[in-house]
Amino acid sequence: MKSETKVGLLFLGSVLVVVLFSYYLGVLSPFSDSHTLNIMYNYAGGIEEGSPVRVMGIKVGKVRKIDFDPGFKMPSGEEVKLRISISVEKKAWDSIRKDSKYFINLAGVIGEKFLEISPGSLEASALTPGETVRGEDPPRIDQLISQSYGLAGKFLEIMNKNEGSLTSTIAQIDKLITNINRTLVLVDRTSKNPDIARLIDNAVKMSDDLTYLTRNLRSKKAEDSYELVHKLLFRLEGLDGPAIKKFFQEEGVKARLF
Amino acid sequence: MGSALLNLIPSLGRSVIQTQGLLSEISAFLFEVFKEIFRPPFRVRETIKQLHFVANESLIIILVCVCFAAMVTILESSFHMKLVIQNDSMVPGFAAMLILRELGAVVTALLLTSRVGAGFTAEVGLMKITEQIDALRMIGLRPIHFLVVPRLIACILGAVFLTIFANGICLYSAMLVSEIYLGFTPATFLLAMNRFVEMQDFWFSLIKAAVFGALIPLVSCFVGFRTQAGAEGVGSATTKSVVTSSIGIIIFDFVLSYLFSFFY
Repeated sequence: MKSETKVGLLFLGSVLVVVLFSYYLGVLSPFSDSHTLNIMYNYAGGIEEGSPVRVMGIKVGKVRKIDFDPGFKMPSGEEVKLRISISVEKKAWDSIRKDSKYFINLAGVIGEKFLEISPGSLEASALTPGETVRGEDPPRIDQLISQSYGLAGKFLEIMNKNEGSLTSTIAQIDKLITNINRTLVLVDRTSKNPDIARLIDNAVKMSDDLTYLTRNLRSKKAEDSYELVHKLLFRLEGLDGPAIKKFFQEEGVKARLF
Repeated sequence: MGSALLNLIPSLGRSVIQTQGLLSEISAFLFEVFKEIFRPPFRVRETIKQLHFVANESLIIILVCVCFAAMVTILESSFHMKLVIQNDSMVPGFAAMLILRELGAVVTALLLTSRVGAGFTAEVGLMKITEQIDALRMIGLRPIHFLVVPRLIACILGAVFLTIFANGICLYSAMLVSEIYLGFTPATFLLAMNRFVEMQDFWFSLIKAAVFGALIPLVSCFVGFRTQAGAEGVGSATTKSVVTSSIGIIIFDFVLSYLFSFFY
């Protein structure tokens, strides 16, 4: 073989290796079987171009591009300013529905960020490639920390300011509990006294009787009696003083006669 | 004491003059080479012949050496990671990165120096002491255009090609070793590699390769042109050329790595 041919082969070989490299590193993807999807965020917590995209935990694509779009509004009118374009393999595309949610998560020992897509339900309609959807903004750990820091500061401040009164409150609570304890001891001791026991016993019996009485008072018979008394009183009302006097006098006369 | 001091000063002055002379010679040489690269006629056939000598004939040696270097790298980094964090799941990723950013280009260049650089110096030096270079001048050929330019172009191209192959074979052997000894499947290897390695690492390794590839013929031809007469002169020139270009490669590797670190 001529040396020129050999050099040519070497050149072709190295071009081939470069192409292979670009294929494995995802720069070249001639057999692309993926769709793109735009996800809007207001805060994307450290996601980068090339971060993996996962559906139900399985890697199905990567973040292609991150754009700032200050003038963008969702159809709902919400202003969302960060557009993340991702590619998703076709095999996972049908699992993503209108009601899918787009989270930014953390994984691995080195804290690598990835975009997790929750599968949607079958009832929701499928997405069209290139559609723009709203992602779930990840919680701002830094904000959380600074807020809880402020909260802890305030709590400490209150503690420091009211240290005296807090101490006295605690002391009084302590006294109160001591008193309650003493009272409880007394009550305990009292309940063991035989006289008291009899007293309580009687009280119980009395209340039983009272119950019986009131039950009878409320019975049908008693109601009839009330009715009768009422009628009697009504009839008696028409009688004035002299009539009664006369009646009693007549009755008295009659009584005397007999 | 006094006479020693008196002797010291002239020797110091002498070395300053020598260094200055060397520097001016080097810059004149570099300027000449740069000028001659763009001057026709372009000696394509000679360049291809040199490329064959640089690239094709070195291919097997270089591939075998970098292959083993890559295996050592991945085994060592796995061992170290297990020692430090009891987990070597990231090893393929950063071993691949190390291979791409450093090992592939540097090991290739050092091997090329010892094989090709020594050859160039011996060739040019022998031509110098047998007065062939003066003969070239006499028949109207410019020695730098005739000797250095084809070697320079061939060596730059050859180093780039060889580094591409070296990177490929390095990663392949690292993948094999990690599959056999460390229990990573090729898919996990590629996934971990993907997490760290980007295409720009590859391009940077090729830039390094091109710089080293230029350094080797420049140093070896320059030393060759300055060869002293006699077989001993050729021998010492060869040694000097290999040592100088090896040191140059290491220093340029540092400089380029430092520069590239601004791109991350």
